[in-house]
Amino acid sequence: MKIETVSVDSVMIYMGIIISEEVLDKVQNTYTRLKSLEHVVDLTPSYTSILLQYDIFYYDSVSIKNAIINHLSKGDGKYEMHRGKLIKIPVDYTQGLDLQSVADFHNISSQELIDKHTQPIYRVYAIGFLVGFAYLGIVDGSIKTPRLETPRTKVPKGSVGIAESQTAVYPEESAGGWNILGITEFDDFHLFEVGDSVRFTDARI
Amino acid sequence: MPGFEVLQGGIWSNIEDLGRYGYAHVGVTNSGAMDEYAYRWSQKLLGNKEGNAIEVMLGGLELKATADVTICVCGADLDFKINQHKKEMWQTYQVKKNDVLGFYGQVNGLRAYLAVKEGFQVQKKYSSYARMYKEEKLKKGDFIPFRPSKCKDTKRVSSFYIPTYNNTLTLHLLLGAQQHLFSQSTKETFFSTSYTLTPHMSPMGYKLQGKILVSNKGGIISEGIPFGTVQIPPDGEPIILLKERQTIGGYPKIGTVLASDCFALAQLPIGARIRFKEIHITDAQKMMKVFYGIFF
Repeated sequence: MKIETVSVDSVMIYMGIIISEEVLDKVQNTYTRLKSLEHVVDLTPSYTSILLQYDIFYYDSVSIKNAIINHLSKGDGKYEMHRGKLIKIPVDYTQGLDLQSVADFHNISSQELIDKHTQPIYRVYAIGFLVGFAYLGIVDGSIKTPRLETPRTKVPKGSVGIAESQTAVYPEESAGGWNILGITEFDDFHLFEVGDSVRFTDARI
Repeated sequence: MPGFEVLQGGIWSNIEDLGRYGYAHVGVTNSGAMDEYAYRWSQKLLGNKEGNAIEVMLGGLELKATADVTICVCGADLDFKINQHKKEMWQTYQVKKNDVLGFYGQVNGLRAYLAVKEGFQVQKKYSSYARMYKEEKLKKGDFIPFRPSKCKDTKRVSSFYIPTYNNTLTLHLLLGAQQHLFSQSTKETFFSTSYTLTPHMSPMGYKLQGKILVSNKGGIISEGIPFGTVQIPPDGEPIILLKERQTIGGYPKIGTVLASDCFALAQLPIGARIRFKEIHITDAQKMMKVFYGIFF
């Protein structure tokens, strides 16, 4: 665990440096326990980290770190994994704005790209960016793709995108920098909880 | 209940407070008043504990009161008038039934806060009165309820505390956990040149134009975004993320702008020039305590 000052009133707690189910468990465990730390304003858990905003009238940038460490040392460290439910999402890959360019980037056909994207059972690693935006991992290593150089000012609702080894569905129209592989009519974004399993299917099949 | 009838909605006006906290884990952002300095004064003048205010951006809002109420306006000079008579800002007024309040044009600054004693009587969402910029705005025909109030003496903000909004501003910046993704010369460029505010300015973020900044990595594993974060997408144009920022993001961050400077930034127009100046965490926390101390 590493704790870094990231703003005048917040620290980032890093629980690992790679996206894995093991780190996901650690983040969820630590996040749950930090909810009972006093004078914490907000907590934002993500793949490998937790952003913690604190009241600067109670802690300074040093004492908050000690408070976090002390607070976490009280528990037994055990955590039961929340496997969650399986959510299936049919995707129309013919509507993917970046399907061809991502396929070209990896020197594969668009069908191979679709096969690789629909093959894994993903897990919900975090919810954020927008309400109902579930960060899913882990994308097959051979189709990992960097974000767009310039984010789009408008990405349509239901767009299914990938960025590095993450994939997600845009729950509403928004600005965004992910590569869009397809569009889904799925609209039950409130169902997502961290730990759930998600599978994309090709809507044409 | 009495209230204000909205005669004209203006460019963008809506109810804000200090925003919502404790919902980031489900993707709900803070929102809230873009300029907390002016907002907090509007609440202090009226003695509101957990109030709210109408944030008026650029003007155009016109309201008619259906009862007597004590009000004040703090923040940008948007040619505020009552019954077509120009009125001072940063002080309380006793508004009478059928008075028409209006903001008729932008003179200095971008955002004014119109508050009433005890706050507007509207519903909270996720524990806050704040409305989302992209979701809704006040429009003709809307009604904003308030409790009638009467106040004999006028309260004013001392002139020492009343800002004028210029076209240049220096922002204090705390270098962040990812500063190692930027070379020394990139950081020097960042701190030694000025940046211009572009039309891409919303409560989500302000995109800046100036010297391109290059990071050693196009993206990081998505993580929580503190208020005031300066993120650098691969196109090299910095974006300052503000009240309605996404809760999580994966572009490298060079650091965060001091919160009180973000509030001042919220009053600057397109084309304004800004510079960044490095600050240490100890000084940053001292400055924010002084800031909040004004309103205790």
